Amino acid sequence: MRDLSGLHVLIVEDEPVVAMSLEDILEELGCIPVGPASRLSEGLALAAGAVDAAILDINLAGERSTAIAELLQARDVPFAFASGYGAPPDGFDVPMIEKPYRAADIERMLQVILAG
Amino acid sequence: MTETGPAHAPLPVGEDEFRLIADSAPVAVWVTRLDRQRSFVNRAYVEFLGVSYAEALAFDWRTIIHPEDAARLLAESIAGEASLGTFTLEGRYRRADGAWRWLSSTSQPRRNAAGEHIGFIGVAHDITEAKEAELALRDRELQLSAFINQTTAGFAQVNLDGYFTLVNDRFCEIAGWSREQLMQRTMQSITHPDDLDRNVKMFERAVREGTPYAHEKRYIREDGGIVWVNNSVAVIRRPDGQPFGVLAVTLDVTRRRDSEHNLRKSEESLRLATESAGMASWELDLGTMTGKWSPNRFDLLGLVRRDDLRGTVEDWLDRIVVEDRETARTAAYRCFEQGVPYTLEYRIRRGDTGEERWLQSHGSRIDYDDGRPSRFVGISFDITERKLAEERLRDSETRFRTIFEQANDYILTSDLQQRITSVNPAVQTALGYSEAEVLGHSFADFLDPDQFEQATAMLRRKLTSGGTTRHTLRVRTRDGRSLVWEVSSRLIEDAAGRPSGLHAICRDVTDAKRAETHLRLLIDELNHRVKNTLAIVQGIAQQSFKAGSDLKVAQRAFEGRLAALSEAHNLLTREHWGLVSMTQIIGDAIAPHASAGCFSLEGPDLAIMPKTAISLALAIHELATNAVKHGALSRPGGHVEIRWDRIRNNDNSRLSLVWQEIGGPGVVPPKSRGFGTRMIERGLAAELAGSVSIEFRPEGVVCIVDAPLPEGAE
Repeated sequence: MRDLSGLHVLIVEDEPVVAMSLEDILEELGCIPVGPASRLSEGLALAAGAVDAAILDINLAGERSTAIAELLQARDVPFAFASGYGAPPDGFDVPMIEKPYRAADIERMLQVILAG
Repeated sequence: MTETGPAHAPLPVGEDEFRLIADSAPVAVWVTRLDRQRSFVNRAYVEFLGVSYAEALAFDWRTIIHPEDAARLLAESIAGEASLGTFTLEGRYRRADGAWRWLSSTSQPRRNAAGEHIGFIGVAHDITEAKEAELALRDRELQLSAFINQTTAGFAQVNLDGYFTLVNDRFCEIAGWSREQLMQRTMQSITHPDDLDRNVKMFERAVREGTPYAHEKRYIREDGGIVWVNNSVAVIRRPDGQPFGVLAVTLDVTRRRDSEHNLRKSEESLRLATESAGMASWELDLGTMTGKWSPNRFDLLGLVRRDDLRGTVEDWLDRIVVEDRETARTAAYRCFEQGVPYTLEYRIRRGDTGEERWLQSHGSRIDYDDGRPSRFVGISFDITERKLAEERLRDSETRFRTIFEQANDYILTSDLQQRITSVNPAVQTALGYSEAEVLGHSFADFLDPDQFEQATAMLRRKLTSGGTTRHTLRVRTRDGRSLVWEVSSRLIEDAAGRPSGLHAICRDVTDAKRAETHLRLLIDELNHRVKNTLAIVQGIAQQSFKAGSDLKVAQRAFEGRLAALSEAHNLLTREHWGLVSMTQIIGDAIAPHASAGCFSLEGPDLAIMPKTAISLALAIHELATNAVKHGALSRPGGHVEIRWDRIRNNDNSRLSLVWQEIGGPGVVPPKSRGFGTRMIERGLAAELAGSVSIEFRPEGVVCIVDAPLPEGAE
């Protein structure tokens, strides 16, 4: 098991309550939340910075977070998608975590993608 | 609706009662379709051919026509069909037992309710006996005339006692005695005893009064044979006027007498035959206009049989219904006077029961070369059942045709090559093609290749396992739209049970399919929203039940937040997740906390996005909760002012919203920022893509929102 403390984890989530919960979960795991970004442009800007991992909501107020995923993939930053419903965008072989999720789901997912 | 289009293929007959009635008829009955294919034949028809029912349907009747009649019958048949009227054929056909039978067939065009020609219905009577009698008569006349023209008459002279005094060779030949023998004999001695009495009386009278006479009598020949002769007799006188003998011009009429005898026999058998076939006959001496009826002719007309069997033309005409009477009279008198034979169908009212029946009658005139008055011979039979059957058939066709024409469903038929043989008007309307543009075309012309393949597979399935197939097909309209049809189809079978085509009833399910797709999208969306809402609820729960918090307090906070979320959802649902009213969303959020005069709302009624509305509702809820607990609303007299406005600045507009608490206790800034504050300052700010700040001023909490107004918000 990898120690998650001190990892910078980007949160891309347009639902404020959900974003706040995820922030709290990450903090409890010892991570440092980056964001949350609720817009595509915001997410892209943060993804270009110092992040170790990312959790991307697929739908962002009508936009899709695919561009952020591509940027992260290009930078070799592990990430997972989070969504209430539906399939991950085509072309990404990454895990998807279904909303609503629990702290344990997030921890397991981070272990998987960081081990990946 | 269908003035000029080609006729529809007829619908299958399939009427059991028609079949029963037709089968019991003593005459052959058949029904043909437009393509000349027979769709029905009755038992008499099948029995005449001596083949199976299925073979009878397909039987090529041209192969059994008598060679002498073939060319004429074929020509008349083609002309008759082309005329689209009723036509009659008469000729010899070979029956199953090899006998040549004279048949008189009447074909009548069938029309559908729209008056379109859809084939023929035919009836054939066996008229062999009548025909043979007619031919026998003709033969006899030929013989007579040959006799008169080709033989020399015999001459014989006798004295007043009857002794032969002079005979010619021909007389000897006729009488069957040599001249020498005759010269020894009297006329009386060679006359048949049965004829003698009458002969002698005429002879004596002629001698006494000098009157010539003609008569027929028999001679007994030397060999014992009998010869019938027609003698024309004149008295011979001496120059002083005294009669001394008589001269007879003798014709041998034995053969004529025989043929007449035979004819009488044949007429008798004809009468019996026709009567047993349900046909009544009558004949009329056109010289005296008196005639005899067959006993069953009285029965046919519902009249009492008369002992002398006498019946008049008027007796007959009286029974005919008024509407048909003059036509019958005209035809009959034309036959009497001009010799034009007739065939008539007409209605009578029976004399006994008053019941209306249909009869068919044939009449013809027989003329003689020897100056005898012409005779009329007619036969009649009851065709009511046939007429009723025709009528029922017409009714049934009309019924089917009406269903076919009026149905909203699409009805079509095809052959086994999937070429369309009929479509109802609904199909034409749906596809945008006229009937002519569809008939004869393959299904492939109206289906995409994969769909045609599917239709073909369904046909194969029916051909192997029968039954009805049901499937949906995408159909192409003339203007390229695609329709989704639910197709139920089954095979059409001919009378022998062999598949002959396809019958399909289709329903347009395009809208249903579209609704189904729409519904699936809705369910997907609903599922998405439910999951999303659950995520929010989970977030709220997580924030409300932090480690170390008072459970009762946390629970109350959680319930309040859920209520706010629920209220926001109610509004969104009412607005169908479209834009919602800002005034409304704020009003709903404060409602649980409001007592009269606690809040004042002031601002334009802006429309905001659903997602924004939820965040705003939760934020207002947090502010109001805090105000009730710690702020202006925690004591009487305190109140909250909520003001917002749209600020236009060049191209874009911004939202400015201020929450201001007035008249509350002195404010102490909280040591740590809880869910509410975070929710407002970060969550709402992120949601609005603007800035939200909460100031804990000593005189009251103030929250200031500054955010761009997105497109569409008014």
